[in-house]
Amino acid sequence: MYKRDQGLGRGTGPQSPIPDPQKGFPMTTPAKVFGTGLERVAVRPITKNIWWITHCLGDLAAEFYSDYFAVLPNAEEYAGKRVVDYPFSAFLIVDEQSMLIDTVGPKQQDAMMDALAYMLGDKSLDYIWISHIELPHAGNAAVIKRRYPNAKLVTLAGGDHYELHALDNAIQVAPGDVMRLGQHEVEMVDALFVDHGLSHWCFERTTGLMFTADWAHNLHEPACNECFMFLDEMLAGQYTTELFVDDVKVNAWYQFPWLAWADEDEIVTAVDRFFEQYDVKILAPSHGNIIRSDFKQYIPMIKEGMRRAVQMPFSNHL
Amino acid sequence: MIRQIVDDVYQIGISVAGKEGHEAVRVYVILNDGHPILIDCGSHLYRPQFMQEMEEVLDGATPEYIFLTHSELPHAGNIKSVAEKWPGIKVIVSNVLLAYIEILPVLPLSQITAVIPGTKLEVNGRMLEFVDALLKDQPGSQWIYDSRTGTLFTGDGFGYFQDESLIDQFSDEIDGGIREAQFQAYHYHTFRFLRWVKPERLGADLDTMFTRRPIHVIAPIHGSAIRHDISTHKERLKSALANVRAQYV
Repeated sequence: MYKRDQGLGRGTGPQSPIPDPQKGFPMTTPAKVFGTGLERVAVRPITKNIWWITHCLGDLAAEFYSDYFAVLPNAEEYAGKRVVDYPFSAFLIVDEQSMLIDTVGPKQQDAMMDALAYMLGDKSLDYIWISHIELPHAGNAAVIKRRYPNAKLVTLAGGDHYELHALDNAIQVAPGDVMRLGQHEVEMVDALFVDHGLSHWCFERTTGLMFTADWAHNLHEPACNECFMFLDEMLAGQYTTELFVDDVKVNAWYQFPWLAWADEDEIVTAVDRFFEQYDVKILAPSHGNIIRSDFKQYIPMIKEGMRRAVQMPFSNHL
Repeated sequence: MIRQIVDDVYQIGISVAGKEGHEAVRVYVILNDGHPILIDCGSHLYRPQFMQEMEEVLDGATPEYIFLTHSELPHAGNIKSVAEKWPGIKVIVSNVLLAYIEILPVLPLSQITAVIPGTKLEVNGRMLEFVDALLKDQPGSQWIYDSRTGTLFTGDGFGYFQDESLIDQFSDEIDGGIREAQFQAYHYHTFRFLRWVKPERLGADLDTMFTRRPIHVIAPIHGSAIRHDISTHKERLKSALANVRAQYV
């Protein structure tokens, strides 16, 4: 069950060393794909009991993302160089109690239900944790709840008018609260960078997995067979750390256009403090490839990407 | 409740109670000489009310377009009922919104058009402009300007909580209009990113937007229309945004 963790206080992160999540775990387990095209969903284990569930377009990406860089204020730096794809992900922690982090969207509903059945087997689903209530993040919550009627919705406390978002019966949790699932402990995290007001992140303490919803993510190229890859696998191919910095910047500009009115030093300092507070080993954003190893090396890149994002203008069409 | 704002622009919708007051959810209907336009289409959670009021205002006319300010549940959750009632309806969304995954899959994607900010669309001789939403709780958000009436439809921006007894009243029907504290409470909950925003920078862009076109009515989805003292209300919003930032710093 969840409860306020008085012993650790709010957001102090784990107090004991985090075990290596990959120890004794095969790094090369392939993705299993359910459905096709706009409906497809792939699942891949990140650790022994945490699954990455992700939808992306693959061969169809060029139809949908041809303008991804073309509308940027400095489009000439990007246009035509890469045909990218943009994933929408959820995560499943399987333990004595199981927790689904986000749900993917209604278009992927059938594949998502098949994927859940595959991952859970005869285990129950106990919690559906919602990062925020946009369709690609929460749009299957109702149908999943019908299939797994004992599952409880979990949302951020401190808001108002939950009824408008069909969250009036959800469990409300605040930053610092901890949900103990068995071996896994999920700490609620104050989301630094958000769009929707009812947004939060979470941190799985035993593996060091930080779920950051819309923040700090890259893009991938289907033509380079990068769909469903972990970032270390992409970097062993054609992807580069320079592209990662640029991707963090471009995606932050899209996701958080308000950065144009922020102060870059404040933003970078906040990122620094965040990673001082949480000993992150695995970064699991909703819209990027998962970083599952050597995470610390990415922190300067994320900071640089955010600094560059702040320097971009808001819009030319006020 | 159905209310005429100005000329052929109507406000409908519901409200729900909360700790800090009632929150409205609006759909705006522009009758447009028999070629109606809907601004958002409401939430499926309150489907009977939205459908009944839309049909009453339309009085048998078939809406040609929905302009979605964004695709969140209170704004687009009712799209299934609207698509069933008027299957030929076309939907205009922001170019940053990915229709195949961010809108319920109830209409052919060919009926959904994404437009970049700055796009102008003429519908039966009426010019409507899509502008970049300054306050967005979803990247694919847009505001819409109706040049005929000078109405700016501001999505979540300019929302406010209200007493239940005043929920359907326009600003000019309320003594003193909409107060700064009402804007502040709403924007604090809705736009938590304001903790990072330098209010003078956002305020300057807000001023620019209001300078570039004559704005006589502000029509938020989460409030009733503001149709007097536009400049005063803009300044109150700017103060409210600064206060929200101060709550964090």
